[in-house]
Amino acid sequence: MAEIKLFGYANKISVKPGEEITFHVNADGTDTANAQLVRLIHGDHNPAGPGYIEEELGSAVNGTWKVKKQFTQVGSYLTVADPQGKLRLDGSFTLCAFIWAGKFGEGRRQAILGRWNMYKNEGYCLGINQRGLLEFWQGDGKEIDYLAAEVPLDPKVWYFVAVTFDASTGKATLHQMNVLNRYNSIWGKVVLESAAYDSHVQETLRFRAKNAPDIPFLLAGAEDWHELRGSFVSQTYNGKIDRPAVFNRVLSREELERLKTGGTAPDGVVAYWDTSKGYTDDGIGDTVHDVGPNKLDAQGVNRPVRAQTGYNWGGKNDCFRLNPAEYGGVEFHEDAMVDSKWEVTNRMTIPADLRSGAYAIRLRSGEGELGEEYIVFFVRAAKPKAPICFLVPTASYLAYANERLAFDAMIAQPITGQTPIISPIDVEVYQSREFGLSTYDSHSDGAGVCYSSYLRPVINMRPKYRIASMGIPWQFPADLSIIAWLEHMKYDYEILTDEDLDRDGLAAIRPYNVVVTGTHPEYYSEKMLDATEDYLAEGGRLIYMGGNGYYWNVAFRPEEPAIMEVRKLDSGMRAWQARPGEHYLQTTGQKSGLWKNLARPPQKLTGVGFISQGFEFSVPYRRMPDSWHRSVAWIMEGVEGEMIGDKGLAHGGAAGIEIDRYDLSLGTPPHAKIVASSGGHPDNYMLVCEEILYAHPGMYGTYDYRIRSDMVYFTTPKNGAVFSPASIAFGQALPINGFKNNVSTVMKNVLDAFSKPGKLPGGEWISDEKQWR
Amino acid sequence: MANVWKDPTGTLLDGRAPREVKTGDYKDPRQIWEETRQYKVPTYKVGRLRYYHKWRGHNDKLWHRLRYWPTRRRVLQIRGEYNPKTLAREKTIVDKRPIWWAMGLVGLAMGPLLFPESMQGSLFSAVSTFFIYAAINLCWMLIIGTASIFSMASYAVVGAAAYGTTYAAIQMGLPWYVLPFLGCFIGLVFGLLIAIPATRLDGFYYSLLTLGVVELCRVYVLQSKELGSATGGLYGAPPYAPDTIPEYSRLLLSYYACFILMLLALALYRFVDGKRLGRILRMAPEKREAFAEATGVDYRRARIMVFLISSVALGFIGGFYATHFRGASPNLFTFDTVLLSLSMLVIGGLGRAEGAVIGTLIVVLIDRVLIDLGPLRLVLIGTLMLFVVLFLRGGLFGIKPQFRAWRDKKKSEARSTRAEKGGEMLPEESTEHPNKDEVYFRRFDKNQREYLKTLITPELIEEFKQRPVGQHSEALERLLNYFRRQPQNDKYAVMVVEQFKAYRIVALSGVRGVAPRLVEDKIYPSIEEAYKGVFLRRVQDLLEA
Repeated sequence: MAEIKLFGYANKISVKPGEEITFHVNADGTDTANAQLVRLIHGDHNPAGPGYIEEELGSAVNGTWKVKKQFTQVGSYLTVADPQGKLRLDGSFTLCAFIWAGKFGEGRRQAILGRWNMYKNEGYCLGINQRGLLEFWQGDGKEIDYLAAEVPLDPKVWYFVAVTFDASTGKATLHQMNVLNRYNSIWGKVVLESAAYDSHVQETLRFRAKNAPDIPFLLAGAEDWHELRGSFVSQTYNGKIDRPAVFNRVLSREELERLKTGGTAPDGVVAYWDTSKGYTDDGIGDTVHDVGPNKLDAQGVNRPVRAQTGYNWGGKNDCFRLNPAEYGGVEFHEDAMVDSKWEVTNRMTIPADLRSGAYAIRLRSGEGELGEEYIVFFVRAAKPKAPICFLVPTASYLAYANERLAFDAMIAQPITGQTPIISPIDVEVYQSREFGLSTYDSHSDGAGVCYSSYLRPVINMRPKYRIASMGIPWQFPADLSIIAWLEHMKYDYEILTDEDLDRDGLAAIRPYNVVVTGTHPEYYSEKMLDATEDYLAEGGRLIYMGGNGYYWNVAFRPEEPAIMEVRKLDSGMRAWQARPGEHYLQTTGQKSGLWKNLARPPQKLTGVGFISQGFEFSVPYRRMPDSWHRSVAWIMEGVEGEMIGDKGLAHGGAAGIEIDRYDLSLGTPPHAKIVASSGGHPDNYMLVCEEILYAHPGMYGTYDYRIRSDMVYFTTPKNGAVFSPASIAFGQALPINGFKNNVSTVMKNVLDAFSKPGKLPGGEWISDEKQWR
Repeated sequence: MANVWKDPTGTLLDGRAPREVKTGDYKDPRQIWEETRQYKVPTYKVGRLRYYHKWRGHNDKLWHRLRYWPTRRRVLQIRGEYNPKTLAREKTIVDKRPIWWAMGLVGLAMGPLLFPESMQGSLFSAVSTFFIYAAINLCWMLIIGTASIFSMASYAVVGAAAYGTTYAAIQMGLPWYVLPFLGCFIGLVFGLLIAIPATRLDGFYYSLLTLGVVELCRVYVLQSKELGSATGGLYGAPPYAPDTIPEYSRLLLSYYACFILMLLALALYRFVDGKRLGRILRMAPEKREAFAEATGVDYRRARIMVFLISSVALGFIGGFYATHFRGASPNLFTFDTVLLSLSMLVIGGLGRAEGAVIGTLIVVLIDRVLIDLGPLRLVLIGTLMLFVVLFLRGGLFGIKPQFRAWRDKKKSEARSTRAEKGGEMLPEESTEHPNKDEVYFRRFDKNQREYLKTLITPELIEEFKQRPVGQHSEALERLLNYFRRQPQNDKYAVMVVEQFKAYRIVALSGVRGVAPRLVEDKIYPSIEEAYKGVFLRRVQDLLEA
């Protein structure tokens, strides 16, 4: 019997009572699965804590679900709707495009543009063959005829490529022409003489293509078929395509040369996709406009990356807003995936009495480890009533969704200082492209992954999961420790997600007296950041429970909130780095990268900002002298001794993993107080790179005083306040000793105070200090 | 050793006394760099002069490529590339055989013009014989090389057709041009008969069976009065070259007739071996039939098809033989004919047309042109065959790949004897490596490893065991950082068997999408124990490398 594997996702990450949510499940080795609605309380089964806790709930969806094998289209491409068959080129024609190919050859064929059915060998296509040569091919349903260029393409170099076909003589001519300039390619002019990139080959083909009516015209892919799966797209392309076009006649060499140098399209246009058209100050969508007579617009699938430099990028403009004409590059990847598009397996309307919280459909089938799946979703309140809001950092969950650092990143072990601990589910995900990548991974050609979505099974957004490279719960399963604490302490709280905050802005959190964040709210859109800032400015209270928060600028499209975009730029602790000229978000037109480099360091909001990360062990905090000041001493009420949090589920302490520091120069409010700080971090804790101007020896834990976590408190206007323990490990120190520990005490003191409206404790102790000692 | 390392982490926060750990003597990591000033083995200049011509690329000029009408095949298979040393555009003719074939065939077509008058008679007959033998051998090569059916009865098919057509011609007074086609029919019937056991018998047994058939035919024609046992052959078939034309013209006519016969055989070879049937069978060579079958290749059918097609062609040649030699002789059935022809195939190399033709040429030349040597020439052929069988894997035409494989073997032998470097590249290896950064990495890595080996002491291992993760002494931290920075392929990781209870050690693949492999069966009860296991393995790998 084959091993049973279940994977699923929900169409929404945040729902409220009355709304419908659909579940999409793929099953191997079984056609039924047992479903159970559960409320997730604690996600870490570490024996040092309370263990795994979930609560089974009665629901109409409980019971046996019929499940089946589902398939995922991987690879980004553009598809052209052509109901009138204008692209069924039965006469003479010319296909052309500018291309910058990232990775090719190695025995795999890639399609650039054409109407090609590789299962039936029908149609025509311009692409790159298995040996890395530009090639035109066409098929009559039985045989394929090929015309290849003379020399292989060079990777990451811009070319203008074209093929002309003369229907009267059967002559096909392939053109590969160099358009390299000082900026646009991996090399400059010093490597090859200009003509050495070129190739012009002519042959008389043996037959005409059979242009069957049902073949789609695709850019960066070709139609394929499988018995179980039906039609899908394969031969997907890696790299950029700029301004592809189709003409209904043979263009002369002179005409092609003019096109190559940016001239306007000559007569005979069937389609001319001006990839640089459609940019606004707020970004660009997935439609590539055809400016020819037939208006055959192309639609992106799996988010081809736009706002990328084109063949004519001159280096001066670093954003598409300055000169959209230089940003015609549309980038494709064979392993890009943002939506599994599985069929609905089951659906559920959230009952009115389901209280706000983290929920999952638990699916089980068979005995194996992969036969258990949790499809996680969050239920927010239909109408906010509780004083406390736990803000689930779903944007950051997306950033890490299905990361493969333990497998692919050589630097993972030096960073974490430990050998990865891999689970069978990690191996399962690693072996398949169908799970998609995270923004910590790179595409197969080395380009960083800038899109991530939850419309796919996200295996690290489920309870019990431990991140392989660090050996601890990370993100969602770690955040469940905070939920477990809120539950244990019987607080009246409700849940919101980043998605809600991005959509509704301030209105989403305004009803609450206090917002508690997750352990690692690293990815923030401008709307989310604005809302949080406005909330604090008008008297809201924030407990920033994490480390390395408010770090990357990301963006969502309002109509597609499941997909997040980020570009990692020239600074920050980053898994990859966007290429020059490609630093702006396609989604909004904003510059991405660190909020710090966009003049909004996290210190301005929370008093602290990222200073170091390390994974060997976490340490406790020790009270700082300011904590005896009566304005904040109430935070420490009930804490015995000076040490806080010497145990935790994240490597044994409350301060660690990723930690933040107070810094006046980066905008920490001047009246902020450090009530406790950590110290004694091992040398595995390195200074973050955005703090480094010149690197020098001694930027590690036991050398550099800056490497510490500062527990910071300050008040904001209208009785608002911020409490920032500033460490990822803090939240996971709460459940220690049955939730009875001094981290829990501190947290309770703060939350009790913050959740009550009106004046905060300690607010009267504001006079000048005229002291006798 | 009484050296003690003090852990700085504890004191920093609360002023506790630092943890003390026994550690080894300090060793200077730069020392190895000071000491290593040259290779320990002699270094030789590398680089190879180009003494042959490479065609230049077309660059921005249009290149009209010709095809063999009406196929998709280009006249020459050409690979365009950038010279890795200079990045100059070059073109290489990947397969030069069409050129050699064209030159050889043109030479043979012009042969009669070149023959010296004194030897005209013997050369004409020798070359004509060569053509006929070559044609037969090409068909036989299809059977042995393409279909992998070890039939020895090819000449028997030719003989049967020759006898049959001669007999029919005498009895019925058929004109000469009917004979080859009648031969086709006889070949088909004969082929069908001997194909039946081929579905049952394998290799060697089938050869024996077919030899038996040949012998049966020989004995039959030697004893059958009808088939001219008295005259040493059956003669009286109508010739295609009538006696009425002058002798030189007759010789010329038969020369070109035989030449065309060989060209037809070559065409047949190309169409069977180079097209679908041949490709199917290339998937199913001897001893790999099961694999081919598993992938859905019906190799048995393809083999029988090739066998039958060849038998028809052999029958055609038999008919031609009858009209060429005006009859048939029992020679066709003799054991020495079979062996001589087998030697032609073997010398040329099985499985290729040029092998069949050149093998035939060599053996016919020795047999016919060195006729003065007498029986010694058979010894010569035998010696040649023995040499080929003993030393060459693919006949004469396999010499080039065989030589290259042998040179590669010698190269790796030589490199292994020179490899004192512990992975550092020597000039001969470096010149082949496309990424020179890797060349330096190997040097750095070698020095690093040599240094790190000196740090490994019982104290160090004990220190790791006491605290697998966390702040470590300088020596241990260096060692661990080296381990952690290794490339991903074959890097150790821990695999969960049961969370918090059972772990195993695996090694990463370093290749996207490829799962880690299990390193050992041992189960570790805790993550700390697994870390210790990984560490000891890494130390062992370092010391053994």
